[in-house]
Amino acid sequence: MESVRLKVAGIAFTAVLAAVGIAAVIGGLMYGVFAEDGLIGPGFLPVMSGGLVALFAISDIISRLLARKHPVDERELLLDDESAAELEAEAKVPDIDIFGRSQKQRNKQLIAVIGILIATVALVEVLGFILAFGIMLVVTAVLVERRKLLPSILVAVIALGVAYLVFGVLLRVPLPQGLFGMF
Amino acid sequence: MIDNLILGFQTALTFENIVWCFIGVLMGTIIGLMPGLGSTTGVAILIPLTLTLEPVTALIMLAGIYYGAQYGGTITSVLISTPGEAASVVTTLDGYQMARKGRAGSALAISAIGSFVAAIISLALLMALAPPLADLALNFGPVENLAIMILGLVIVVSFAGGSLKRGLMMASLGLLISTVGVATGFSQARFTFGNVDMLGGIPFVEVMIGLFAVGEVLYQIRIGAAAPIRTRFKDMVITKSELKRSAAPIFRGSGIGFLLGILPGAGSTLASFMAYGIEKRVSKNRGEFGRGAIEGVAAPEAANNAAANANFVPTLALGIPGGGTTAVLLGAFTIYGLQPGPLLFETQPALVWGLLVSFFIGNVLLLVLNLPLAPVFAQMLRIPYGYLYPIILLTSFIGAYSVSNNMFSVVLVLIFGLIGYVMKELDLPVAPLVLGLVLGPLFEKALVQTSALGQGSFSIILESPISVVILIAAVFFAFGPALLGRVAKRLTAKKAEEALTK
Repeated sequence: MESVRLKVAGIAFTAVLAAVGIAAVIGGLMYGVFAEDGLIGPGFLPVMSGGLVALFAISDIISRLLARKHPVDERELLLDDESAAELEAEAKVPDIDIFGRSQKQRNKQLIAVIGILIATVALVEVLGFILAFGIMLVVTAVLVERRKLLPSILVAVIALGVAYLVFGVLLRVPLPQGLFGMF
Repeated sequence: MIDNLILGFQTALTFENIVWCFIGVLMGTIIGLMPGLGSTTGVAILIPLTLTLEPVTALIMLAGIYYGAQYGGTITSVLISTPGEAASVVTTLDGYQMARKGRAGSALAISAIGSFVAAIISLALLMALAPPLADLALNFGPVENLAIMILGLVIVVSFAGGSLKRGLMMASLGLLISTVGVATGFSQARFTFGNVDMLGGIPFVEVMIGLFAVGEVLYQIRIGAAAPIRTRFKDMVITKSELKRSAAPIFRGSGIGFLLGILPGAGSTLASFMAYGIEKRVSKNRGEFGRGAIEGVAAPEAANNAAANANFVPTLALGIPGGGTTAVLLGAFTIYGLQPGPLLFETQPALVWGLLVSFFIGNVLLLVLNLPLAPVFAQMLRIPYGYLYPIILLTSFIGAYSVSNNMFSVVLVLIFGLIGYVMKELDLPVAPLVLGLVLGPLFEKALVQTSALGQGSFSIILESPISVVILIAAVFFAFGPALLGRVAKRLTAKKAEEALTK
């Protein structure tokens, strides 16, 4: 099931790349591939690179559709069958990790962390950089990782303190202070 | 040569540079052993911290992170069978088995000794080879430079692992991303969609932080973690027989590592795999391989360190990065206003030789740090990842913001973080994309100059014997490995068939 999902995701992502490549070719043609004197123009590299992206992406989609087996890592060809098998066995993602979480739970965590990151970046202009990321640290540790509240706050305060000292004070980076003029 | 070395020592042995070298190797070791962080990520995240330093000091520190991470990456390979660095993947085979037998200390000690010996051998070779190569490259014009860049891109793609066309696709995507903004020599803004932040192009530090740091953290969250094996100080004592068994593998590994590392893009990962494969064939103790053979740790560890140093030959002499981390370092050069390439040896001798000599100092510091302190470093693996990765994310975003004091950088890190995660999940190589992005502006400049020299025609590239040779090499690297692989497969199948008939 997982490999089918990955296959579909792979085809979808590569199709997006193909579309980006084609769009770049069209854009590049509008910028002008060659100048009047025959020299290359600003559109040359976008057309060339966009064309190559589209070409390889379409070719990759075809191979992904035709592929039946998992592709072999060429580096494994340098090892004999026994070592390659050992490496493959060790590289396999365990379903249950040391914290006893299943793959499904880890997938949920991943989605939660991505959501928290998007919210944090959106909140920087409102709350300020340090406060927004402070909330990110605590929420991630407590809600996603199920850590205790007090140690999580302590870790967040220390991490933010060090970050503020290094970037805000030593390097004098003007971190966004948000609507309320906080950190 | 002697004058250059003296100049290098004078530059590297200042108090400030030694302190930053120490900070670099220490942070490199820690970064290398942290799951989800590698030398490329570490260098990318920490570039913003070095913006106020002198270029030579900044590069000494960043290079320290690079080779320090090679040492640190081994600790996780041995103790939790999770390589901190791709180049340490093969070390998990025997290193982890040694650790399970209570010989984690010996595995860590031999990897530190092997890495040190390999570093010293490869540095001597690097110092001997890079300047003449740079002298040769000084005769290169735009046509040859264009051919060199094509060669660099092709080699990175062919050695990136996985499918060749996926590598080529990612390298082309890197080139395409580099076209955003106003290019030098043109007045037209490309693909900016009216956004003023994009006029200057897509900044690669933010792209790298996103792809490597954020992308890797997200990937680690999905795959989960393994339990570490504890190691003690008294386990660090390595026996005489173990040292004797490791001597030849270390020298063989150093040679293989240097030869592969010198090729732009081949990198230390391939070197470590090849060193392990060869050692398994030639070793007297080949029966122990996979069950905790010390040779299986010594050879790949020596190889990956030698390759890491050899990577600097094309980076410094030709301006073509040897791998992912040297691509990031190449980007750092341009941030400090330096143009990497053959001219660097002439215009910035103190910087180049100071940097090279600092490798010696850094490796001595690493040996002193790693031999007695590997168990202490290993304690860091006990920091719960649930606390660690939010801090890595904070450092990534605040670091990216500080490059240009702009929220656009933060948004870019988020976008490329998600792209990096998807790429990792789908097994799409990141190094070719980074190389395409870094080389893009130089590639376009060489294209413009070549078309001007040829008055609009690119056939001029076939008129220069040097560029023809370089392009033939590029064709070989593009198709050679696949062809050789097919021939080898056919031969093996034929042999098996013959054996069956017999």
